[in-house]
Amino acid sequence: MSSPWNDSGETPMIFEADDVAVHFGGVKAVDGLSFGLPEGKIVGILGPNGSGKSTLVGAITRHVPLTRGTLRFLGEDYGSDRAHLVPHRGIARTFQTVRLLEERTVLENVLLGTDSLVGGGRDERRRAHERAQVAMQRTGCEHLAKERPDELSYGNRRRVEIARAIAMEPKLLLVDEPTAGMGRAEKEEVSALMMSLRAEGLTQLIVEHDVQMMVDTCDILLAMNFGKLIVEGDPREVVRNPAVQEAYLGKQAVKHA
Amino acid sequence: MIDWYAANSVVIQATMATLLLALSIQLPLRMGVFSFAGVGCFGIGGYTAAIAFTQFDMGTWPSVALGTVLAGVLCYLLGLIVHKLTGLYLGMATIAFTLIVAVVATNGGSMTGGASGIFGALGGITNLHVLILLAVVVVGLAVSEYGRFGRKIDTVREDPELAVALGINVARYRKMTFLASGLIGGLAGAVTTLLRSTITPAEINFHLVVVALTVIIIGGSSSWLGALIGAVVITWLPTVLSFVADWEPIIYGFVVALAAIFLPGGVLGLVKDLMRRRRSGSGTAPPASDAAVTSNDGPTAPEPSRTPVPSQGGAL
Repeated sequence: MSSPWNDSGETPMIFEADDVAVHFGGVKAVDGLSFGLPEGKIVGILGPNGSGKSTLVGAITRHVPLTRGTLRFLGEDYGSDRAHLVPHRGIARTFQTVRLLEERTVLENVLLGTDSLVGGGRDERRRAHERAQVAMQRTGCEHLAKERPDELSYGNRRRVEIARAIAMEPKLLLVDEPTAGMGRAEKEEVSALMMSLRAEGLTQLIVEHDVQMMVDTCDILLAMNFGKLIVEGDPREVVRNPAVQEAYLGKQAVKHA
Repeated sequence: MIDWYAANSVVIQATMATLLLALSIQLPLRMGVFSFAGVGCFGIGGYTAAIAFTQFDMGTWPSVALGTVLAGVLCYLLGLIVHKLTGLYLGMATIAFTLIVAVVATNGGSMTGGASGIFGALGGITNLHVLILLAVVVVGLAVSEYGRFGRKIDTVREDPELAVALGINVARYRKMTFLASGLIGGLAGAVTTLLRSTITPAEINFHLVVVALTVIIIGGSSSWLGALIGAVVITWLPTVLSFVADWEPIIYGFVVALAAIFLPGGVLGLVKDLMRRRRSGSGTAPPASDAAVTSNDGPTAPEPSRTPVPSQGGAL
């Protein structure tokens, strides 16, 4: 693909963080990040464990209170929103560990994505069902609709979680380590799914450890360490950056590269 | 049948009152809110109705309404203060609330009748009235167990952080459950008092918390049906066990302990587990046969057992 980073100057930003910081006592989990998410692009965040990636996702969804900084979505400052209002703005997320209702069917778990965002009228409920069906088809779990999550494989549980987020029909999807614990083939499926969602214009922010997948999937990479942004730009250039290699991949990888 | 009813009318009454009380505790538990405030509200509802009826010459139903609403309002205010507490801390705070109600009743002077309570508050309530009120409450709760409302409540209980990420206003659910719990508990207290004509501080004390919890542990915490099973067992067990005379409390204790240990989902959870096992055992072939039925999110959606809070309750 031609480097989308170069034309991001013309692409409007759907989301902007300005000087965002989250401190827990003396720990500066996120310390003054500023970046934007261009509409319709996939942006990835790389960083070693404890570099503040998940805290950043928590800050964007307003789960974690900001120490300072502003968050803007579609041009509006939503930094004082309570967390449950964020999904209503069109921001959906998945979690690092799959979180499903084990006692409910796959279909019901996916419907949960629509339950608070769609009204209770008969037509609206029918549309919610259609949304859930489409989301399950896209993630390849429609044949599991009647199953219970505790009977599913890890990869399928992940699919259900992504389906639930898609059923929310978000404008921005935050994906926290979507392929952790997956095999190569499953990872490629997830990657393909994200690219097909991008083709429809869905902006995505991915936190992920698999460097190869990030390079293949993302338009832009942000590399974090110690709560700060160290490099951002074209994925291939970012992973070749010496600072990133040292922080994230370790010195050994630098030798191999 | 009529003879049987006449002979057991009082036990039937007690079953319905116990069920209402248990429902006022079960609703918050279903939301993951470990609150016993419903028991205190039983006292508030009972005393308010009795005082309104005997000292202010209000009619039966206005007295019941006043007791119910006052209990609901006070419980809601309590909820505003304590809804952010969880687990044992919330349990302790709401038990304290219940004990305070008993203390106020004991020390309320001529208004509450002190330790001997209030007598002669015999309102015009029949078992049929109680049954109708109970049915209204049960229908309301049953609706809250199905469809998207049921799913949202389950999410609020199982994973509040996920619930928020799905756009559910968890804080509001938690506060509203205090209101609903207070209304149901207050109704239970008001109706029971005007039915029996008396209320004393001893009746609304800690033992009532134990009764309500026992009902839920034996029956199951996930559904009103569990509370019904538990209420029937708890109120009829002493009758059934009367032949063992002095041993009754001991056997009663064993039954409760065994239920807590071996039936984490209560009797209802056991029944649902058995039904599911039978279904999946007989039909490893496509579950598509019932696909048409289960493909909506209405009352026919499979509703498996849940074993959430009672393990905590068992520890108390």
